[in-house]
Amino acid sequence: MIKNFLKITWRNLNKNRMSSFINVGGLALGMTVTILIGLWLKDELDYDKSFDNYERLGQVYGHVTTNGKIYTGRAMPIPMSTELRSRYGRNFKHISMASWMENHILSSGDIHVGRKGFFMEPEAPGMFSLKMLRGSQNGLEKPNDLMLSESAAKALFGDADPITKQVKLDNKDLVTITGVFRDFPENSSFKGVDFLASWQLYVASEPWIQNAQDSWDENSFQVFAEIADNTTFEKVNASIRNAKQDHVSDEQKNQEFRTIVHPMRDWHLRSNWENGVLANGQDQYLWMFGVIGFFVLVLACINFMNLSTARSERRAKEVGIRKTVGSERRAIILQFLCESVFVALVAFLLSVLLVNIALPWFNEVAGKAVTVPWGEPVFWLSGLVLSILTGLLAGSYPALYMSAFDPASVLKGAFKAGRAAAIPRQVLVVLQFAVSVTLIIGTSVVYKQILHTKDRPTGYDRDRLVMIEMRSPDFYGKLDILDNALKKEGAIEYMSESSSPMNGVHSNNGGFGWEGKDPNLTAVFGTIWVTNDYGRSIGWELVAGRDFSKDFGADSAGVIVNEAAVKYMGMEDPVGKVVTWGGNRTYHIVGVVKDVVMSSPFEPVRQVAYFLDQENVNFMNFKLSARMPVSESLAILERTFKTVMPGVPFDYQFADQAYAEKFVLEERVGKLAFFFTFLAIIISCLGLFGLASFTAEQRTKEIGIRKIVGASAFTIWRLLSVDFLVLTLVACTVAIPVSYFLMHRWLQKYTYRATVGWELFGGAVVLALLITVVTVSYQALKAAATNPVKSLRTE
Amino acid sequence: MIELKKISKWFPVNGARSYVLRHIDLTVKPGEFLSIMGPSGSGKSTLLNVIGMLDRFDEGEYLFQGEEVSKLKEKQVSALYKQYIGFVFQAYHLIDELTVYENIETPLLYKNVKSGERKAIVADLLDRFNIVGKKDLFPTQLSGGQQQLVGIARALAGHPGLLLADEPTGNLNSKQGEEIMEVFTQLNKDGVTIIQVTHSEKNAAYGNRTIHLLDGWLQG
Repeated sequence: MIKNFLKITWRNLNKNRMSSFINVGGLALGMTVTILIGLWLKDELDYDKSFDNYERLGQVYGHVTTNGKIYTGRAMPIPMSTELRSRYGRNFKHISMASWMENHILSSGDIHVGRKGFFMEPEAPGMFSLKMLRGSQNGLEKPNDLMLSESAAKALFGDADPITKQVKLDNKDLVTITGVFRDFPENSSFKGVDFLASWQLYVASEPWIQNAQDSWDENSFQVFAEIADNTTFEKVNASIRNAKQDHVSDEQKNQEFRTIVHPMRDWHLRSNWENGVLANGQDQYLWMFGVIGFFVLVLACINFMNLSTARSERRAKEVGIRKTVGSERRAIILQFLCESVFVALVAFLLSVLLVNIALPWFNEVAGKAVTVPWGEPVFWLSGLVLSILTGLLAGSYPALYMSAFDPASVLKGAFKAGRAAAIPRQVLVVLQFAVSVTLIIGTSVVYKQILHTKDRPTGYDRDRLVMIEMRSPDFYGKLDILDNALKKEGAIEYMSESSSPMNGVHSNNGGFGWEGKDPNLTAVFGTIWVTNDYGRSIGWELVAGRDFSKDFGADSAGVIVNEAAVKYMGMEDPVGKVVTWGGNRTYHIVGVVKDVVMSSPFEPVRQVAYFLDQENVNFMNFKLSARMPVSESLAILERTFKTVMPGVPFDYQFADQAYAEKFVLEERVGKLAFFFTFLAIIISCLGLFGLASFTAEQRTKEIGIRKIVGASAFTIWRLLSVDFLVLTLVACTVAIPVSYFLMHRWLQKYTYRATVGWELFGGAVVLALLITVVTVSYQALKAAATNPVKSLRTE
Repeated sequence: MIELKKISKWFPVNGARSYVLRHIDLTVKPGEFLSIMGPSGSGKSTLLNVIGMLDRFDEGEYLFQGEEVSKLKEKQVSALYKQYIGFVFQAYHLIDELTVYENIETPLLYKNVKSGERKAIVADLLDRFNIVGKKDLFPTQLSGGQQQLVGIARALAGHPGLLLADEPTGNLNSKQGEEIMEVFTQLNKDGVTIIQVTHSEKNAAYGNRTIHLLDGWLQG
């Protein structure tokens, strides 16, 4: 019997090519979206699962309650690890200190490469289950041990075995390669970690780190942990709660420190802390795209339902006949469901092809390296389940509708679906367009928010501004040499050094004081150390006072603050006033600058203090000359670097690029939303097109008669289009409040946000109407242009 | 086998009843070949549909093999169609997407007849109606007479005891019509009860009883 059903299905598909194309194509597009989103979701949910002990790994975080607000951070002091090992040891299997994941220079002979890596303790390689290609996981025992990733090893040594070979780290320390591990996968928090070096080496490398070994105040490191087998994160967190609190200095006693281990399973999707609790993180996008994927599939199913029921008159006779030869209703329902499942399976095969075509592009937009697991039975099984579910969903309404036909009336040939029969179809079209319009509005809001934020004044000039990280001792003490050489060649206008790059504030400090400060307030400022020409090289805007200058000898006792700081301190006339820091040091405010957006462009700028210092700096900033092409300036820069500092790779970043990277997540969301919206519209249009062609066909006789009695082509066009336009308008009235609600909520997470005005909704409505008119008009005009004699003869 | 007692059927038109059948009393015994005649709109097709349980009636009682039809569930009606009743229509009503062979086979699929047996029954019918050569053609590729033969073959595939034919020759020329009537006569001789609706006296004469309808009333 199934064979008989399939035969009929196939012949029907073949016979009505147009509607088959719309049905199969629409479902395939819908399934393509679902599969892409499914692969993306799986990739996101599998994040960090490549670590063997995924479920038990975590990172030590601290919640600090200051001025009634809870701030959360993962910067830890070195004694934290000793404390956790000694006093709370039974909670943990492994603990390792770690540096930040930073760029360092690895050199082998003449090859210098800049690679990211960690300095960690000997337990780390085992704890993070490094997949060793050469050597063992015990490769960090000695201070001069270093383990390389496969790709870094290849870059430094080609195909040769690097074990026991020596490498120079930051042109300073000679280290020995003890192991090669497989690169961390794309969806890993350690993606791009190309080496692990010894923590002992790190401590020995800088005096301040040596001094930090016993200091509970030097929160400049990370602590990773693997909890013991017999416990849970909840138990551990209850136990270690006061690990830091017990050691804070007296002046910090008015703050509360709570120590926790943040589980690895939450790192990627849930690491956004707001006032001590996990707020919406990446996982909200999982939901968002999951819902979009579902709705796009529903849209495609609606198409199927609409076209199937609209064309049901053609199948009515068959239903009647089948019933008179003894078919029960159940068997007819079964038949139509078989048909839709079959169509869904065909659509699935097509969508697999489409996914394959779209995947490289999708990966680029989504910033992923998702692959289709062709070889895995799970994938095909899921596909089969998806097809069957889609088929059942799409086929459900048509099957119920058509199987209810009364054989006597359909066989009399009198069967014409009345106006009432069109109502469910109209509801479905409204639903379809409501979803599409919601997506249009949603995507527009995302883009508006991005554009709005991009338009925000940043308080400095990103144009021709180049940053270079000072990654080894080679860089230090070269400011004047470089400055003179580059200015002489006309490559730059200004050069400066600073402790933070343009795209981040790397240090925040407490202990600030000023006249009139509330004694209970723990004043925390972003602190940035800069050289004289910093302001001139980044082009900040002074609103009061003056910039740092060599002409004033005592500027090391001066400080420049931003407007946010003035507001924070509540000063009336700040220039000349005194700020104290760390109890005894006093600084005079020499100038006030407009807020410089260094952290998130979506957030207000926090208070920052700029100090003059030649030593405590980590970045070089170059303002390239406007009188020379950028490429030429860069060439001079590189040449000068090679002369002044041979042995360091010339790695630079443009400030405007660094700034643009702050929008990566939002832009990614925008692009994906745009893509899915586009497909949703295409699917809806396919359905509308099919429905319009059906209506036109059904009303052929009416149109013929109207033309004979003198209706113009325009009247005919209006006759056929107006119904659909009304439906679109109804859909818009549904979509506007829904999208307003959703997008209003989404925008709440940005402090600096765009206002969503009526013009945006109006635009979406106009767009939806336009799409409808264009889609429907083809059929309407075709009907209007048909010779009435011809159409009437066919009746 | 069929017993209609005071069967009436109407449609509501502007609050009033527009009768199609009025107080029909009719008994049909097994083995009969009954012809129902009457002008257009007299209700003869409706009567046949009521007998075939395709149409509901509004008043009266209808016993089919002693069972009250108004109390039959959809499933039981389907079972009757499968086992006992075959339909032949004026417009043939073949499934256009199925071949001749597949059309005849359809009722057998619903009866869950095994594949081998199905083949035998269909082959037998094709042979009997002389359409073996057409078995792989689609209905639209056949003449009207041929289509009606397929329709009859399909109706007979389930070995029905009762054949209901609504103007089976209405769309055929006289020669084709005669052939169909010959087939009916033969079937009746083989024991199949036949009720046909017809316009033509000549065709009605093939049956062994004729009733006349006028404006929903059974005449004489």
